[in-house]
Amino acid sequence: MDYDLGADADALRQRLRDLIHAHVPADFLGACTDDPADLELCNAFCRTLAEQGLLCLAWPEEYGGGGGDVWHQTIVREEMWAHHEPRGPQYMGVNWVGPALMRHGTDAQRAKHLPPIAAGEVIWCQGFSEPEAGSDLASLRTRAVADGDGWVVTGQKVWTSYALMAQWCVLATCTDPDAPSDRRITLFLVRMDSPGIEVRPIPSMLGPHHLNEVFIDGLRVSREDVLGEVGAGWTVMRDALAYERVGIARYARCESLMQRLLEVLDDDGRWEALAPALHARWVRALVDLRVARLLAYRAVGDSSGVDPAAAAVARIVTTTCDQNVAEVLVDAAGPDALDAGADALLHGAIDDHWRYAQAATVASGTIEVQRMLVSRSVLGSSR
Amino acid sequence: MKPALPEDAVAYGESARGRLERLGGVEFGLRAEADRELRKDAGAALADLGMLELDVRDDLDQFLAAAALCRVAGALCVPWPVVEDLVRTDGQWLALIDPAGPRVDHGDLHGEWVGAALDGAAYRLVIGALPHPAKLGPFLVPATLGEPAEQVSADDVARHLVLGAWRILGGLEAALGQVVEHVKARKQFGQALAQFQVVRFGIADASVALRGLDELARFTAWRLHAAEPAQRSADAVALRLHAVDAARAVLRTCHQMLGAIGFCDEHDVSVIDRHLQPLLREPCSGESLALRLVPAVRSGAFETLFS
Ligand SMILES: Cc1cc2nc3c(=O)[nH]c(=O)nc-3n(C[C@H](O)[C@H](O)[C@H](O)COP(=O)(O)OP(=O)(O)OC[C@H]3O[C@@H](n4cnc5c(N)ncnc54)[C@H](O)[C@@H]3O)c2cc1C
Repeated sequence: MDYDLGADADALRQRLRDLIHAHVPADFLGACTDDPADLELCNAFCRTLAEQGLLCLAWPEEYGGGGGDVWHQTIVREEMWAHHEPRGPQYMGVNWVGPALMRHGTDAQRAKHLPPIAAGEVIWCQGFSEPEAGSDLASLRTRAVADGDGWVVTGQKVWTSYALMAQWCVLATCTDPDAPSDRRITLFLVRMDSPGIEVRPIPSMLGPHHLNEVFIDGLRVSREDVLGEVGAGWTVMRDALAYERVGIARYARCESLMQRLLEVLDDDGRWEALAPALHARWVRALVDLRVARLLAYRAVGDSSGVDPAAAAVARIVTTTCDQNVAEVLVDAAGPDALDAGADALLHGAIDDHWRYAQAATVASGTIEVQRMLVSRSVLGSSR
Repeated sequence: MKPALPEDAVAYGESARGRLERLGGVEFGLRAEADRELRKDAGAALADLGMLELDVRDDLDQFLAAAALCRVAGALCVPWPVVEDLVRTDGQWLALIDPAGPRVDHGDLHGEWVGAALDGAAYRLVIGALPHPAKLGPFLVPATLGEPAEQVSADDVARHLVLGAWRILGGLEAALGQVVEHVKARKQFGQALAQFQVVRFGIADASVALRGLDELARFTAWRLHAAEPAQRSADAVALRLHAVDAARAVLRTCHQMLGAIGFCDEHDVSVIDRHLQPLLREPCSGESLALRLVPAVRSGAFETLFS
């Protein structure tokens, strides 16, 4: 039994921190802001990571990756999320679009799409959710109707993150409304600037770019655009969601923010003065974060691929930690907590964390859906 | 990175479970409440299992074997102070105590006790008379502080806290296992309780809590053999705190999902809950454990990715 992440783990972590320090300003809060410079910074940083072989460190070498293992990938995920994800929306391409293409794509699709992802040159978005299909994703209704040697797609997607930033989308459609869920959905790889796609941003407490509507009217797609088999989209989506569920190392941002706030409070003598009840909450939050990290390691370390129940366990703990830490940070910060902007405490990172944490138990599948997965593994299916 | 328990520890745990089930399992623990002499048979069974040869101060493998034994002892309510016996020195059993009011689980079983506070300050203990029979912690005996004894090392305190957490883990796993079987079998409103989503979610949350505790227990056992001294102590307190918190949530779920049957003496969950109480309350409350960790958070002894 051994929990060491490997001989080169510390060096990799340090290398990533040095790079971030050199390329990302201290007040950076991610790509999802009103300032387009933040997205530009992310895109430039992705190219830098790619040049250094760090963007797709854990991809196989044949696809432009670094041939690293899941632990290298874990360290990258932790360091990126901890530092407000300076890869911006590109983490989605690296984390699940690329691996889905490797598993389910054609040779031509791999040749076309993997190199730009590995080079840090393309943003993908995920067009799964619809107004009537949230947790019950398999019931989605955006229709792809056969037409000549292709299809014509009409329908609506919603909550599509980064849709205005993305060049490409994995679009989930229904090709056979009467078939059971594992045969009715087909995924298409579509360019976001195709005729028939219109994006409308949705203002939200999370900040810009997180939530958008995507209207699709008469979009033409061809056989070459199908990811996986026609009608077999659900299998690919389930795969993708399992990767996505362990994709965000929320615990790492929490640990980083707690350390930064501790140092600020300690510097002006406020740490010792916190109420004992708050100290106790702080300690419990840190212990829970350690548990979240260990459960994430368990979920990714399973050599047989991502076990959906293990991923669900990890996500339940990580997302509830994220929200609990948001409360602990705000309470410990005192009256300054709600200040936003670069001049605020931790450059506004506490306010930013609290707002985004509210969505932790909804985005990428709600905590209730995770509980369903866990209970199925313990109790068997429900009728 | 290999988070799985070594096969030897797993095999040892399984053979311990077999032997202690033959002794009578949880029901034996219940009978020992009425006939305290029976506990000697538990001691003999543990000796058969080689408990006295286990050296918890040696390498990680020995420690994990001891942890596996504590886990089984928790699951089967073995009426013996397994942790206190495992961390003995020179034939003296070690109890972790609150010096303001020492109490020792199974204190009457043995003449020679050293009691240590969490800071390592130690005393010989004078075991008092058997108290009024109690449902919660039925083998707890009051004690008074005797002569000061040699300071107990921070590592021994840490080992004690960690092995106690493994015992708690075993008890909670057994309790939840019983509840899982119960909700699958018990029907109300024409269907198994396991069909009701509120029941399923309760079980999901409890099993998430246990999977987390299991991970932390293994990680902390490893850390006792891999980390710096101050980190080892902080990690041990953190594990025990987490075990106490998990126990509160998991046992509550277990009782609720069993309905009335779970309160009966004849039900394992009732026995497990009552017998775990000393580990959950002694040597101090979870709140005190949490506050003990505050300096370790500030100094970085409780390590995070960014401390
Ligand atoms: C920040 C953010 C980013 C997102 N990004 C994307 C994206 O890029 N692409 C994309 O496709 N989607 C995205 N989503 C959508 C996300 O996947 C959905 O919000 C999520 O799956 C839940 O769907 P819903 O919002 O329709 O809620 P609903 O499914 O309507 O659920 C509402 C509530 O009812 C509960 N509920 C539903 N069914 C059951 C049941 N059977 N039993 C018990 N409780 C139930 C849910 O758990 C939840 O608590 C994003 C969401 C957020 C918040």
